[in-house]
Amino acid sequence: MLEVSSLSKVYPTPRGEFSVLRDVSMSMQRGESASIMGPSGSGKSTLLYILGALEPPTSGHVSLDGNDPFALDPKALAAFRNRVIGFVFQDHLLLPQCTVIENVLLPTLVGNPLPERHARASDLLDRVGLSHRLDHRPAELSGGEKQRVALARALIRHPPLVLCDEPTGNLDRESAEAVASLLLTLHREQQTVLVVVTHNPTLADRFAGKFELTGQRLVPRGSVT
Amino acid sequence: MTLGRFVRRSLAYYWQVNLTVIAGVAVAVAVLAGALLVGGSVRGSLRALALGRLGQTDTVITAPVFFRDALSDELRAVPAMADLFDAAAPLIALDGFVIDPASGRRASGIRVYGIDNRFWTFHQRAAQPAPGRNEVFLSEELVGELEVDVGAALLVRVERPSEVPIGSLHGRRDDVGRTVRLTVGSILSFSELGEFSLRQHQGPARAVFVSLPRLQESLGIDREVNTILLSGRTGTRESTADHVASVETALRSTATLDDLAVAVRVLPERDALVVESDTGMVGSIVIDAVRESAGEHGLRPQPVLTYLINRLRLGSREVPYSLVTGVDFPSFSALSSNARRRSGLWPEALEYPPILLNEWAARDLGARQGDIIEAEYYVWDDAGRLITRQSDFQLYGVLPIAGDAADRDFAPVYAGITDAESMVDWNPPFPIDLSAIGSRDEEYWDRYRTTPKGFVELGAGQALWQSRYGQLTSIRLLANDVEDLESIAATYRQALAAKLDPVDVGIGVTPVRALALSASVGATDFGEYFTYFSFFLVVSAVLLASLFFRLGVEQRVREIGVLQAFGFSPQTIRSLFWREAIVIGVVAGLFGMVCAVGYAQVIMYGLRTWWVDAVGTTLLSLHVAPETLGAGAAGGVIAALVAIAVSLRALKATSPRSLLAGALPDATHGMTEPPASSVLVHVPDWVGPLVLAALGLGFVVAARASVLNATAGFFGAGILLLCALLGFAWVWLRRMAPGSIAEPRPWPGVQRGVRNASYRPGRSVFCIALIAFAAFIIVAVDAFRRDEGDPLDRASGTGGFALLADSLLPVGDDLSNTAGRERLGLSDFETGLFDGVEFERFRGRSGDDASCLNLYRPADPRVIAVSDRFIADNRFTFGTTLAKTAAEVENPWHLLRRELPDGVVPALADANSLTYVLHLAVGDEIVLNRDTDREVRLRIVAALADSVFQRELVVSEVHFRRVFPEAEGFRFFMIDVSEDRAQAVTAALEDRLADFGFDVALTAERLATFHRVENTYLATFQTLGALGLLLGTVGLGAVLLRNVLERRRELALLRAVGFDRRHLTLVVLVENVLLLTLGLGIGACCALIAIAPAWLERGQRLPFASIGWLLVTVALAGATTSLVATRVMARTPVLAALKTE
Repeated sequence: MLEVSSLSKVYPTPRGEFSVLRDVSMSMQRGESASIMGPSGSGKSTLLYILGALEPPTSGHVSLDGNDPFALDPKALAAFRNRVIGFVFQDHLLLPQCTVIENVLLPTLVGNPLPERHARASDLLDRVGLSHRLDHRPAELSGGEKQRVALARALIRHPPLVLCDEPTGNLDRESAEAVASLLLTLHREQQTVLVVVTHNPTLADRFAGKFELTGQRLVPRGSVT
Repeated sequence: MTLGRFVRRSLAYYWQVNLTVIAGVAVAVAVLAGALLVGGSVRGSLRALALGRLGQTDTVITAPVFFRDALSDELRAVPAMADLFDAAAPLIALDGFVIDPASGRRASGIRVYGIDNRFWTFHQRAAQPAPGRNEVFLSEELVGELEVDVGAALLVRVERPSEVPIGSLHGRRDDVGRTVRLTVGSILSFSELGEFSLRQHQGPARAVFVSLPRLQESLGIDREVNTILLSGRTGTRESTADHVASVETALRSTATLDDLAVAVRVLPERDALVVESDTGMVGSIVIDAVRESAGEHGLRPQPVLTYLINRLRLGSREVPYSLVTGVDFPSFSALSSNARRRSGLWPEALEYPPILLNEWAARDLGARQGDIIEAEYYVWDDAGRLITRQSDFQLYGVLPIAGDAADRDFAPVYAGITDAESMVDWNPPFPIDLSAIGSRDEEYWDRYRTTPKGFVELGAGQALWQSRYGQLTSIRLLANDVEDLESIAATYRQALAAKLDPVDVGIGVTPVRALALSASVGATDFGEYFTYFSFFLVVSAVLLASLFFRLGVEQRVREIGVLQAFGFSPQTIRSLFWREAIVIGVVAGLFGMVCAVGYAQVIMYGLRTWWVDAVGTTLLSLHVAPETLGAGAAGGVIAALVAIAVSLRALKATSPRSLLAGALPDATHGMTEPPASSVLVHVPDWVGPLVLAALGLGFVVAARASVLNATAGFFGAGILLLCALLGFAWVWLRRMAPGSIAEPRPWPGVQRGVRNASYRPGRSVFCIALIAFAAFIIVAVDAFRRDEGDPLDRASGTGGFALLADSLLPVGDDLSNTAGRERLGLSDFETGLFDGVEFERFRGRSGDDASCLNLYRPADPRVIAVSDRFIADNRFTFGTTLAKTAAEVENPWHLLRRELPDGVVPALADANSLTYVLHLAVGDEIVLNRDTDREVRLRIVAALADSVFQRELVVSEVHFRRVFPEAEGFRFFMIDVSEDRAQAVTAALEDRLADFGFDVALTAERLATFHRVENTYLATFQTLGALGLLLGTVGLGAVLLRNVLERRRELALLRAVGFDRRHLTLVVLVENVLLLTLGLGIGACCALIAIAPAWLERGQRLPFASIGWLLVTVALAGATTSLVATRVMARTPVLAALKTE
């Protein structure tokens, strides 16, 4: 369902072109999950943002359920992201002006109406253990709680693709463990394609697919010594 | 959760940022709407003042001489008039002055109205009593000035319009006014029409109301007036021009010969009628009408010019004070045929013009045919001097005193001469030598009175004695049918009246209400200039608001990234911010409107008190027009929203990933996507600013070449040049190489500070712009500030004249010569006081004050005329001129002598009045007596640089006499006297010429009065500059703090690695000083370039010292604010800052 082929990304800089990704290919089906590791600056996040249709590749092809998001006009691309992709960022990026449930409902404010959206948001928050915090502001939550809210927000629209950028990077070990478990549980329940970028080998090991970005190429983890 | 709720949540959460944006927009709205309200209030106050002073008056009929008051009712009876006007009232309106004999206080420049009950009925105040016979009603203002109360006795002196022009030989120059002693009967408030005035000026209208019959009696007239007020019928659709045309048409059908100062008498013994003028001379208009109508009635015109000859002399024998009459050739031939003369001697054969003497004169002279007879006579020179001239005639024949030669009616009626019982009783307005009159002369007077002693041909007589007031003294109309001469006369009177156009002979119709409404738009539109100068303040406020909004948006860039990541399209995100912006805008607009009213109220208060010198009245009040307020609010809000739109547009170019990383649009060096392909990509970034700079300089050149209005040129050039230089600053900051902080360089702290300015070029340019706008206003305004020059410098604004004088009543005599001063009673001071004192006299035509002292727009400015001598003197300094020849370049006054096509009169004006009051440029034309049949077109040929001639337009005397023949005598004087004698000369003139209402002032003081107005204006505008500076300082402080906070980790890191606080303070201070210096430099530079055309036009010196002082003050204020920011930075704990994400 997620097809990536011959993907490359080059940034122009005042000192010439800077290549980040080269000839990256991968394929994942629904229900599959994968982690991507690599040193800082290796292009992990760049790949994630390209998969999330937030940044176009310099060359190569990305398709989700057979659709090339980069062929869409900006409005359709936004609708595509709304419908197909759920993001979880390292530092949660909850909107401070909204309550917990409002943050979860954020993706439902645009795009096709989501039936029973409040019930679904409540249900998701219940699943992440925050049913008692619906009307709290992000500032009143702990780091782990915030990331759980971010997880619920990513899943509110039943996206077939969930992309996580260092989801536990800012959390202590216990919180990180809880968030990772929750992420995998919900992934299994909702049969999403889950891609997680992380530095954490323990977390990376919990996903079926394990990749590593090295030398601008994506390779199965462990294949490079 | 909905989008609306999301917007509300955001508005509430970011309330601090939003409040700053609201404050910024509210300031913009308050300043803009406030400025518009100030303009509207000034206009509204002027309008209310003008209409209040006019009462019910719409149109007014005025004449330089008196006409029948019955004309008022006759006009109303005309059907066309009845349709347009529902009331009319006759009155006498004259200039005058009032003296309180008890205190000696004198109030000059007042309007004296002779009214009766018709005046109050006209103004729908029938219950208000008219002044009693010995009463005078005063306006409250005048009462305050004279400090008198009801019951006080006052002397009221008025000008007495003379039928016989004072510029002619028989004009009564010593009898130009009348004084009446009256008792104050009532004090009239503004609402009781106490300030009734037909001419608009924002200063207090000082009016005096006296009984019409009493005033008529004092002036020696019977049921005559010089003014008729007309009140328009409401609901009529006719235009002002239609109203004027209707009145003029009605005047033509109703005015009689009496109204036109023309008389037709019957001479039964001559079988003729005679047409004479009350002025003593018959002008070409009347002559043409008489000739035309005479033919239609079978009457044969016989032109007559009779003149008083002081002496007829032949050798040692003289005949004093004889009348000599010029008649046309047929009449002269007829007389010659009756004369005793040798046959065969024809006039053509004579060496001198032929004269026929009657036998009395011939006997007294012992004259024989062919003798050369000397005639000595007075001529009143146009320059105001009595000149004795002499001409020779040759005796052609001697006439018996019989028939036409015995006709006493050849002479017009001259008061003081023709009504005298004997010659020694003569009381003419010129000196006569009584010792020359002998018994034979008295005998002749007894027997023959005004019978001419000699006759000459008309052409010869006119060559010597005609004046600008006429070519004849009368026209005889010889009738063929002598049966019923009276009946012929009656018919002829009607026919002649129909031929004479009252407008041509000086009766004017003025649509005073329409003019007042038009004038109340304002001359120096204070609101307009206030709005212009507020523009920069508004821009500063809008920039500040957009800056705060942008800072708020930048604070939320990651939120924008999140929204994009979750499928919010860029349009949806922009719409969310737009909704917030609109709510902020509406709230700010409402808040700003409240502030605008308060701001305008403060400014109006300021205009009534602190800046009263600028407006000259305390009668201005706030007029809140909802549409003005709304327009100002809309303008401010829209400007803010546009600025916000530009801010939001900047986000468009930022990738979602950058947004999620919290990267700001103009802070991203390097890792950016290449811009979309566009031809503009290949255009260097300095091209835009260069084009703007070129356009700005184009505005300067266009304004200098008068292609563009000076105001538009100044502001257009200013804005474009500011934008250009700010653009260059932006380019420079963007291009600044990052370099390496590790590189060893001299002055590393300074270099780092300079480089820091390029951290966010957009913000830096914002700060520079705010400071630049304030500096622009302050420098530009200060450059217009006037310095007092040397008043005795002939090239200065005083022309080197120490004194100037205004005379309420026209002065006919020349103060420059001893004889003139003697006639004016100044001979007592001939002990050297006036030695070397030079008087320049100016003819004048009253009109609107064209100086900055008059807030009303002068539609019909006052005009003065300069003599040839004054022109040759080449005093004062000129700005722009139309000089072409070397002589004109050397002395631009010569331009006034040019003969322009179509009778256009060359004129000059003070550059200041021209630009800011008359809104004209050199080369433009202005029409006086507009919309009447007596339009006069003046073309501005030169502009005087900062002179005392700010109230008027200046023309040459030759042209003046041609277009304003009715303007009598001299009413404006400039006196060249040494400083040590100025006071004594002032005292002497004011004492002896008190009856003329002679008011002497120091020219330097008059110039200072104008400067005071200008400088007060400038002070108000500089206040706006100061407010702009305040906004700029706030903006600069906000940006500096924001920069410091954003870079607190970097700064903390530097401290952690050993940089001390002093070094970091230096880094931040250098950055701030750089921004300030750029702002001040750009603002000052643009201001100096933008004012160049006006500066060159006005010939003004640049006040470098004050500008430098101002810049230093501004720099210090900005630097102090910068220090606050650096202190905040310096106080931030290192560890906390390093931990901050």
